[in-house]
Amino acid sequence: MHKLRLIARLDVKNEFVIKGIHLEGLRKIGNPNVLAKKYYDEGIDEIVFMDAVASLYGRNNLFNIIEQACKEVFVPIAIGGGIRSLHDIELALKSGADKIVLNTQAVKTPQIISDASRVYGSQCIVASIEAKSKGINKWEAYVDNGREETGLDVIEWVKKLEDLGVGEIMVTSIDQEGTKKGFDLDLIDQVSNMVSVPVIASGGAGKINHIVELKKKTTASAVALASLIHYNIHSIPEIKESVIAQDIHMRL
Amino acid sequence: MIKVAVLDYGIGNVRSITNALTSIGAEPILTSDNELILSADALILPGVGAFAKGMQNLKDRNLVGLIHQFVDSGKPFLGICLGMQMLLEESEEFGFNKGLGLIKGKVVKLPLKLGNEEKLPHVSWNEISPPSHGRWNNTLLESTAISSDVYFIHSYVALPNDQSEVLSHTFYGDGYFCSAVQKDNITGFQFHPEKSGALGLNMLSEFIESTRKINYESN
Amino acid sequence: MNQTETFFGLPAEVKFCKKCVISNQRPSSTVEFENEKGEKKEVINFDEHGVCSACRYNEEKDQGIDWNQREETLLKLLDKFRRNDGRYDVIVPGSGGKDSAYTAHILKHKYGMNPLTVTWAPHLYTDIGWKNFTNWMHEGALDNILYTPDGKLHRYLTKLAFHNLLHPFQPFIIGQRIIGPAMAARFGVELVMYGENQAEYGNKVDENNIPTMDTKFFSVDNPMKMKLGGVSVADLIDQHGYKMNDFTPYIPTKPEVLKEKGIQVHYLGYYLKWDPQECYYYAVENTGFQANTERTEGSYSKYSSIDDKIDPFHYYTTLIKFGIGRATYDAAQEIRNDKITREEGVVLAQKFDQEFPKRFFQEFLEYIDTTEEEFWETIEKNRSPHLWAKDINGEWKLRHTAARDGLDD
Repeated sequence: MHKLRLIARLDVKNEFVIKGIHLEGLRKIGNPNVLAKKYYDEGIDEIVFMDAVASLYGRNNLFNIIEQACKEVFVPIAIGGGIRSLHDIELALKSGADKIVLNTQAVKTPQIISDASRVYGSQCIVASIEAKSKGINKWEAYVDNGREETGLDVIEWVKKLEDLGVGEIMVTSIDQEGTKKGFDLDLIDQVSNMVSVPVIASGGAGKINHIVELKKKTTASAVALASLIHYNIHSIPEIKESVIAQDIHMRL
Repeated sequence: MIKVAVLDYGIGNVRSITNALTSIGAEPILTSDNELILSADALILPGVGAFAKGMQNLKDRNLVGLIHQFVDSGKPFLGICLGMQMLLEESEEFGFNKGLGLIKGKVVKLPLKLGNEEKLPHVSWNEISPPSHGRWNNTLLESTAISSDVYFIHSYVALPNDQSEVLSHTFYGDGYFCSAVQKDNITGFQFHPEKSGALGLNMLSEFIESTRKINYESN
Repeated sequence: MNQTETFFGLPAEVKFCKKCVISNQRPSSTVEFENEKGEKKEVINFDEHGVCSACRYNEEKDQGIDWNQREETLLKLLDKFRRNDGRYDVIVPGSGGKDSAYTAHILKHKYGMNPLTVTWAPHLYTDIGWKNFTNWMHEGALDNILYTPDGKLHRYLTKLAFHNLLHPFQPFIIGQRIIGPAMAARFGVELVMYGENQAEYGNKVDENNIPTMDTKFFSVDNPMKMKLGGVSVADLIDQHGYKMNDFTPYIPTKPEVLKEKGIQVHYLGYYLKWDPQECYYYAVENTGFQANTERTEGSYSKYSSIDDKIDPFHYYTTLIKFGIGRATYDAAQEIRNDKITREEGVVLAQKFDQEFPKRFFQEFLEYIDTTEEEFWETIEKNRSPHLWAKDINGEWKLRHTAARDGLDD
């Protein structure tokens, strides 16, 4: 029996959690640690902090936030955004992160995935893919928080990532994210069928039903929520109760 | 305050464990020092990652003998995730590697048949339950509800020879795997109590409590 | 010692605003059809603390203005013009970008007006621009008239504007400004509502406190005196072989006609607190707007000015003429609206401002019937010596930048 994991995705810029649409825009939502604690208390399964502007400014800001978070949040914490080297990964793990999320650097030097998996264990390494639809059943991977094309086909890239030894894949639909109109189910389904590592679906959840649909139509292992919870559309207990009532297993 | 030594051997996210211990009122001591470890009230062996690397790091720091010494003292000892796997005799991960041998048996890649939805590594919240009725009495899981969800992240599992040493089992794919072991003062959790929310913190509290029981008895 | 020559009558000393990243070389809005070659530009004002008037205006926006009262005034204004008999009651000029999308949609769906959106066609619609434009109507539930002027003449004027003024966007800006009132006159509508006040970006301070656009921007007495691409209409007819009738799209409504019909042009930004990024969110949520997939060349942004292929060249020419590229404009706006810090703006400007817009370069050259050689010749003629100098490798570099890494810094 498989329990769908509910993950809170917090995109961070400086001291704020922000929420964009199509990975664009910096509307402020609140304090990262306050929100993380809130979601933890409400029963979230996992938290992901993404530094939304790290690539843009060539810096890393989240380590302080993670240090504070793991004093009061006792569920898995992942961190991503601007992770460029094994040294960055080391710092991130030392600051308390359980998992490290990589995108831009993985595209630039795929070797970092295999190196990191070997040194730190593949369960720590999550590859993030920002996918933009380019036609029926075709998606291109983007980097730099959805700013630059790569020319990589998502489905091919995801297979390569698995071969490199990644532990999990988080796939975000750029077209859907922030719109609250639902996931790109074709994208998630294809990615999830392509690999045997867990896939986290991200981007588009606006209604509880979107989560139900995701579980019924794809083999995603987890779902990352942002707008749905940051804008208080539903609380985490509401979401879990409702999803469980529809025969989908989740940790209560 | 109860002093809990957390073994520092260059592996694993120890901050979460020390933070968890702090939050439940214990005093965590992150160390690989002989004195500090042997004088602590309890010892935790954390760990994530590869078995071979874990064992190598222990050996490089001369910690294998120290662990055995601590276990012999009868004080509570807890292995978490890789820390639990290393309690066994050997692992087949990346060729055979010798473990601590505190629990007879070996570590293998999860042998269960997985459906489309079930992936490897096993990354999920999943239920633990006692393999036999009443098995959790007088263990760290005494006050934990049966079928509680805890957080797993692993691809390998322990296969203890002695079934009575299996503390809990968990269903994944088409069957059960061993999710916790216990023998005398040794407990091992395949899952991460420090990442399992309030429920996990409660297990760690039981771990702290168990030091008091010993103190009480030795009086 | 010789004073370095400054083109366009720009200030000799280059300074950067202490709060945002804009420089004192930024020109204020002009009456485009008076724009002629080599004329002196009025620029943004910096006060004695080194802060630009756009930043000061934004401070006022935050603290000094009673927005409830301003909205009250808006309600009274709209009450005066609102119609329920099937006729339009407000003209909203725009292209379906985030600002006009917000303006039109909110007027209709929150304030109960009956807007007609009017669009002066971009030179060359980008795919995303066209999609957003049609979504504006299909998802935003709005009526629209798309007005496309004679393409051949428009291209010719753009070519002239590029070579005479290094301002290829000029004919477009002229059209955009006059179409609102012109359509109002034709449809018997009195109220024209634009989006943001140019004061947001640093026009004359006293223009901030009135809700209306000066008629000089969209009305002339004598069309023959208008200059398009730096050439007067009279000369275009005499020397370039055109007829008066060719200029129908560009001839603004006469002032007395505007007066007679009671046409007023307002800025919604006077009445509602303007935040361009919030307009983006609003547009996505209400009019099917989508940001671009890639960031725009010359900047980091994906939601600002994305509908015309010529657009990047507008910004490239401002870079050459004033040393100000697109990233600087985008960053300055976001700093003022508290989305990014000044340090971040400096980094963004440094990183993206000088990026050459390759994507549509060939199309642009074809559009203005210019060879690559001719393009660079014109560009080079417009590099003011007080802004640009060659480095030891013979490459043109800015002498001063906000990041303080200019040749003279």
